[in-house]
Amino acid sequence: MNKLLLCLLCAVAVFAVAAPCLADTVNGVLAEEQVINLPQDSAKWYVSVVGIADDSRYLEVLGWFNTNPNLAKLKKQVHFCRVTSDQPIYSERYEPNVKGLPTVRVQDGSGVVIYESAGKNIPMTARSLYSAIASSVRISRGLLPVLPWRRDMEKRCPGPCPKPTPEPGPNVDPEPAPIDDGGAPALEEPAGALTAAAIIAIALACVIVGSGVGLAVQWKRTYAK
Amino acid sequence: MKRIALVLVILISIVGCESRKVVTPTRERPTVNIPLSLRQSNWRGSEGEGSCVHAAMISLFRWQGRANTAERWLRTYGGGEWPDDMASKLNRDGIRFASCENGDVKFLEWACRTRRGCGITIMGGAHMVTLVHLDAKWAAILDNNRVGQFIWIPRETLIAEWQASFGWAITPVYSPAAPLP
Repeated sequence: MNKLLLCLLCAVAVFAVAAPCLADTVNGVLAEEQVINLPQDSAKWYVSVVGIADDSRYLEVLGWFNTNPNLAKLKKQVHFCRVTSDQPIYSERYEPNVKGLPTVRVQDGSGVVIYESAGKNIPMTARSLYSAIASSVRISRGLLPVLPWRRDMEKRCPGPCPKPTPEPGPNVDPEPAPIDDGGAPALEEPAGALTAAAIIAIALACVIVGSGVGLAVQWKRTYAK
Repeated sequence: MKRIALVLVILISIVGCESRKVVTPTRERPTVNIPLSLRQSNWRGSEGEGSCVHAAMISLFRWQGRANTAERWLRTYGGGEWPDDMASKLNRDGIRFASCENGDVKFLEWACRTRRGCGITIMGGAHMVTLVHLDAKWAAILDNNRVGQFIWIPRETLIAEWQASFGWAITPVYSPAAPLP
């Protein structure tokens, strides 16, 4: 009898532990918590990738935002808007102002376009695209531009392209962006871009070397006779 | 002198110039400028009641890039709703949402500041519309019984109406459509 009671108690205890876990999953969907801390993300930037749903180039560019670590990181920091030409929102809000398809557009929280490229002007590789976006962001913040001859180095030496990742089925919305209070995205310095500190350091080095050489020449002229 | 000038010309040509063309976009009014084709009209549920809460949420799902969720919601739900039932449906479907049932104006300000918009109760709680704009003077709503145009109301009037109607507001929490450039 005691054993039976013990078994019953154990069963009740196990059920008590398991019940809250089961309550979270209904119809196979993990229930999300209601958002209590409202995200103060009004300054968050927007990245729109616009194109024709089954266009391979569009899918390739879209895939870069999953496969390229820098672009994937950027995607998590912004409102990422995936738009196809068959959606009503395209005809109302994108068709009148895009220059071609596919289009990659980066806007700040107030809607100012920081970077935009369309059609054949979209860089060939994910790395170049990230580099171009990072350059535009840097310029928008008033930082020193990348020297012209240093731009698009990757574009001139293209490497193997990442394969676009398969997109989810047509009846599933994309994975939502994480909730945070993010403002402007923090971008990694792309390869090939000189930082302001590096440019100042090079300029200082040139001044020092030039002064040294000048002094040496003048010294020779004055005292070597 | 000529050499210095030549060196300067070469240096300038190497460095180049880059100017930023900043085109400040005109602020959209209303802030949550839901296109006509994305607006969901009210419909009669299975028990003859209107489905204003669902219609308001569906318009917001579409605005926040959840078109498939919107269509699924339209097929699945309808009829009148109360806050608790709505919350349990949203939770069941794994939908991220925020709501307020105490008439706190900060919630409306947050919803419009972040460009998400929200459904709000009016007419003593008998109807829900979508709040699409709230600034220091004006508010704008989208009534799912007449989706053809936004209705502009003085801010204080709208707030008073909302607070006298149980002060319930609700919105999905996803990424709003990008602003017009």
